[in-house]
Amino acid sequence: MHERLSFHIKRDSAIHRLNPLTKLTLVLTLILLAFLTPWYWTPHILAVIFIPILSVIGKVAKEYFTTALKLILPAATFLFIMQAVFQPIGEEIIFHFYFLDVTQESLMFAFRNAMRIIVMVSAFTLFLLTTHPSELMSDLTRRGLPGQFAYVMISTLQILPQMQAKAQTIISAQRSRGLDTESTFLKRAGSIFPLVGPLVFGSLAEVEERAIAIEARGFTSKQVKTSFHEIPDSSNDKILRWSLLFLILVSIVLNLWHS
Amino acid sequence: MKIEINSLHFTYPTGLEAIKGISLTINSGEQVAIVGQNGAGKTTLVRHFNGLLKPTSGSVTIGDWDTTKYSVAKLASRIGYVFQNPDEQLFSRDVLTEIEFGPKNLGYSKEKIDELVKQALVWTELTDKTETNPYDLSPTWRKMVALASIIAMDTPIVIFDEPTTGQDFVNVSRIANVIAELKKQGKTVITITHDIDFCAENFERVIALSNGKVLLDGKAHEVLGQEEILAQTYVDPPQLTRLGKVLNLKETVINQEEFLNVIVRSER
Repeated sequence: MHERLSFHIKRDSAIHRLNPLTKLTLVLTLILLAFLTPWYWTPHILAVIFIPILSVIGKVAKEYFTTALKLILPAATFLFIMQAVFQPIGEEIIFHFYFLDVTQESLMFAFRNAMRIIVMVSAFTLFLLTTHPSELMSDLTRRGLPGQFAYVMISTLQILPQMQAKAQTIISAQRSRGLDTESTFLKRAGSIFPLVGPLVFGSLAEVEERAIAIEARGFTSKQVKTSFHEIPDSSNDKILRWSLLFLILVSIVLNLWHS
Repeated sequence: MKIEINSLHFTYPTGLEAIKGISLTINSGEQVAIVGQNGAGKTTLVRHFNGLLKPTSGSVTIGDWDTTKYSVAKLASRIGYVFQNPDEQLFSRDVLTEIEFGPKNLGYSKEKIDELVKQALVWTELTDKTETNPYDLSPTWRKMVALASIIAMDTPIVIFDEPTTGQDFVNVSRIANVIAELKKQGKTVITITHDIDFCAENFERVIALSNGKVLLDGKAHEVLGQEEILAQTYVDPPQLTRLGKVLNLKETVINQEEFLNVIVRSER
């Protein structure tokens, strides 16, 4: 009954099988390309063609497009309008709106920036859809990320749904004692403490228990830890990562050359 | 107060069908234990009694109240429900305020509240701990505070969800005493339990659930003797029942008293 907080969708696809670090590199490459290449149409091609194709390869196209429509498009549209209207560049005025001038240049500029944002958010969405958070964290810890950092990330994802479930039980328990949570505002305001009290006390006690439990498993030990869960890192992954890095380098050089 | 359940079905929003057609009547003053494997639907069933869950189809009536027509806060005047984990309901600075919370919500008079609280304290042996903060008490005593806070509401029906889990022998007998006192007052007690010996010693009627349906329902005697059927829901008959079977006793025995009686009679 626990709700999941991560976006991850468990499927078997070429993208799911990639090493988490490779996927992370891919995301960074996409974003840097969108911002760095001197060619005007790069972000557009990435956003409209390349990333959707990746989502199809990753077998998460349906989820990707629902998230994209709900989350990314409204934000990008807003950004596009704001930048088109308030960017004081260009001469050729397309239309007036009171004191605001919309020029061809500002439209082009805003369009590109909106596309860049789409690339950025959608690349990350794709990453989250195809990567399990704990897989990402165990891979990164193996590569030297401090365990404490990984713990904070992962436990947040786990604790929130647990607290939600706990809050639900507390509400049920107090309503069973005749606590009115449904009628007038004043009555409901008075019912805050009986609901929040057990949640806070309980969570504090849980934090302590958690700390003891993970320490019992040698959390702060300085020894190198082995992992039961092997995360594959094939030679293909390595080749892909190096080529992606090369691509980033090329786009940086091109960018400098151009300006 | 009578509980009537009529072809109850319940499906969780996740699509899990937890109750698949249950019809039951629990009469006023009955002591009922509900047993069955984890996930059999025990908690889901009793949460329908005080309206925390509403039927997907079918109906549950408490006395003359259909649970779909009354709020949980309203139904709390007829049904007390002790949750499994006391930490999910304790919030007051001291035991006394905690126990007064329920009866106050029900709007009883000051005198009546005092009387009910006093009685609850005596039954749960908390009289000398009224000033203590519930969180300074051990988990076993916190369980008693939770118990007291519900029985002080003086509801005609009381539900216990796994009252004996993690409790030592002394505390289990304390809980058994509370149930006996409630019985004397003519109240209905419904208990979910995995503790089959506790069930055999304190309850007249046993309902075994399996997979959202009633597997067995009847006198504790009849139900707890059916070893093969109970095995379907992973419930073992009480130890003495099994011992009686090994000894080839003529009758099914479920608790010490019965066991000794049968032995004494066969000696003669």
